[in-house]
Amino acid sequence: MRRPWVVLGLVLVVAACTGPVRSFPVYESKAGDTAEVVASAVETARLAVDAARDNKAHGRYLTQVLVEAEEDAGSAQGTFDGIQPPDRQADELRDRLDELLTEATGTLAELRIAARRGELAELPKLAAPLTEVAEGLHAFAEDHA
Amino acid sequence: MKRLFSVALGILTAIGGFVDIGDIVANSETGARFGMSLAWVVVVGVIGICLFAEMAGRVATVSGRAVFDLVRERLGARVALVNLVASFFITFLTLAAEIGGVALAIELATSVNYLLWVPIVAFCVWLVIWRVKFEVMENAFGLLGLTLVVAAVALWRLGPDWGGLLHGATHPVVPQGEGHPTWWFFAIALLGAAMTPYEVFFFSSGAVEEGWSRADLITNRLNVYIGFPLGGLLSLVLMAGATLFLEPRGIQPGHLSQVALPTVLVLGKLGLAVLLIGFFAATFGAALETGLSCGYSIAQYFGFQWGKFVRPAQAPRFHLVVLVSVLAGAGLILTTLDPITVTEYSIVLSAAALPLTYFPILVVANDPDYMGDKVNSRFTNALGSLYLLVLVVVAVATIPLMVLTKAGS
Amino acid sequence: MAGRILEAGLHLLDRQLIDKDGRLAGKVDDLELEFPSGGGPPTVTAILAGPGALSRRIGGRFGAWLEAVANRLRDGDDQHPARVSFAVVKGIDSAIDLSVPKRELETNRLEAWTRDHLIGKLPGAGDAPD
Repeated sequence: MRRPWVVLGLVLVVAACTGPVRSFPVYESKAGDTAEVVASAVETARLAVDAARDNKAHGRYLTQVLVEAEEDAGSAQGTFDGIQPPDRQADELRDRLDELLTEATGTLAELRIAARRGELAELPKLAAPLTEVAEGLHAFAEDHA
Repeated sequence: MKRLFSVALGILTAIGGFVDIGDIVANSETGARFGMSLAWVVVVGVIGICLFAEMAGRVATVSGRAVFDLVRERLGARVALVNLVASFFITFLTLAAEIGGVALAIELATSVNYLLWVPIVAFCVWLVIWRVKFEVMENAFGLLGLTLVVAAVALWRLGPDWGGLLHGATHPVVPQGEGHPTWWFFAIALLGAAMTPYEVFFFSSGAVEEGWSRADLITNRLNVYIGFPLGGLLSLVLMAGATLFLEPRGIQPGHLSQVALPTVLVLGKLGLAVLLIGFFAATFGAALETGLSCGYSIAQYFGFQWGKFVRPAQAPRFHLVVLVSVLAGAGLILTTLDPITVTEYSIVLSAAALPLTYFPILVVANDPDYMGDKVNSRFTNALGSLYLLVLVVVAVATIPLMVLTKAGS
Repeated sequence: MAGRILEAGLHLLDRQLIDKDGRLAGKVDDLELEFPSGGGPPTVTAILAGPGALSRRIGGRFGAWLEAVANRLRDGDDQHPARVSFAVVKGIDSAIDLSVPKRELETNRLEAWTRDHLIGKLPGAGDAPD
């Protein structure tokens, strides 16, 4: 009766593991996945700002959405930055992605701060850079995921 | 007139009670990733659960005993034990997921961290099971769950390209850039969410709790054949909302707040408020059902007195199992495991356990000793057997696919 | 009740026990048989119920675990599984009807303990379902 549990345990461990990255293609795909996750967070924030602009949501809901978006983006960036790039080519990729990620997390933080303060009218202006960032992340993800 | 009212109530309760946190998460995530291309899985799942729920309800109505109760008599202690272990484990995991879901819904409404709500939710779930009359409990949360219809209202108000949605649903094609294994993995998860085992034995035990008799056979069929498909339709509404708002932007909903976005963007603050009531009712109702099901399954295997139709003091071990299950479920969520992740695992593992939980129902429903002249028709048996075959294939494929796709990432 | 020949596996084992008041009193986990000294088929003298009886039938690792749990839960040093004398069996149908109320059965020990020490202490335990 014990075998299935061992298998299940192994499965859960494998599903969670990231492990060291030794080759560029694997690193590239992880970079692409990270871009996808952050893109999702950025797009969520953009939708939330649309809702704010059209007065369709309370500050409370908006704050929640923006906080979660910031957390998701931040944790994705943190995980990605923790991966050792295997070679020079990976270094370049990392620099390019990090530029996008830093701008994304920075803007999301500003949005979160404004929402928490109840400055909902400021949100559309603060979210302006997100359009380009989103495009950049989507393009990056398509090229590399 | 009174008859009509009670039938209508039963159907409405079945609709409102159909969706739980598993359906919310599965349909939203699938719509955001694969559009409507997996809508057919929900249809398959709904037909499956209608088939087996009707059987389980019929067994309880005709024999006066719940399906699980009879499994051990029919299939022997060992086979029934395997069934019990699988069913109990899955139901417990689902219970934990539902408790997490309630806490998340309240967090969304109050902005107070969900972890703080977990103990309160667990206490309330237990208290309602302890004190509130079965029918009142079922009707209240079933009807309140109907508020999820607001998502359908939002969809209708939006006036989307219905043709496009229908085309997506009727042409199950793996979208560009996505892998086939992942598509199938999501299909399995969706099936697990639609056919969660607890729904069937809860339905059966519930029939005994409410004292159904032969006269209620028709009510049983109506509740199932009208209520469940309409509930399934609500699931598809969530999928459509995600398809229209989240998929085009590449948003993967990992939070309830994102699941709510489509409704918020169309119906605004009022829409969100109603949706949150719906989320709360759906998850709280499911927490009650899974909590009770944990008790039903253990008590019915070992033969101790179970049910809310007797004084709690007359079914002490049953109530103890329920109490411990709710506490342990809350404990699991308090380990700060993401409730959405717990939900995802619960639906996938449900899919893997489906044959174990459904096979005994088919056997018992065919037994003339219990069913008299109300045994399964040949058509029901044919369809039921076909489903079991499909479920075995699904069960076998689940773990390999989970490993292959890294749990759908 | 004397003298009925039954297929023990089909008609007795794993059946629900229902007491005089219609309450559920456990399942037939095992049977106590008496083999007559002069040879011939055995007679069923008692029904055995409870985790101790079930563990022996299940066998394997789970059975051993269940037996260990049962031994912990048993008070005193009586090592035998709870016994329901066949004399109190009133009828054998899809369930086994007994002629006595639950509380007079050995099998009720654990249930009574749980009620007295745990569930019974919670407010509202004795309230009738309205």
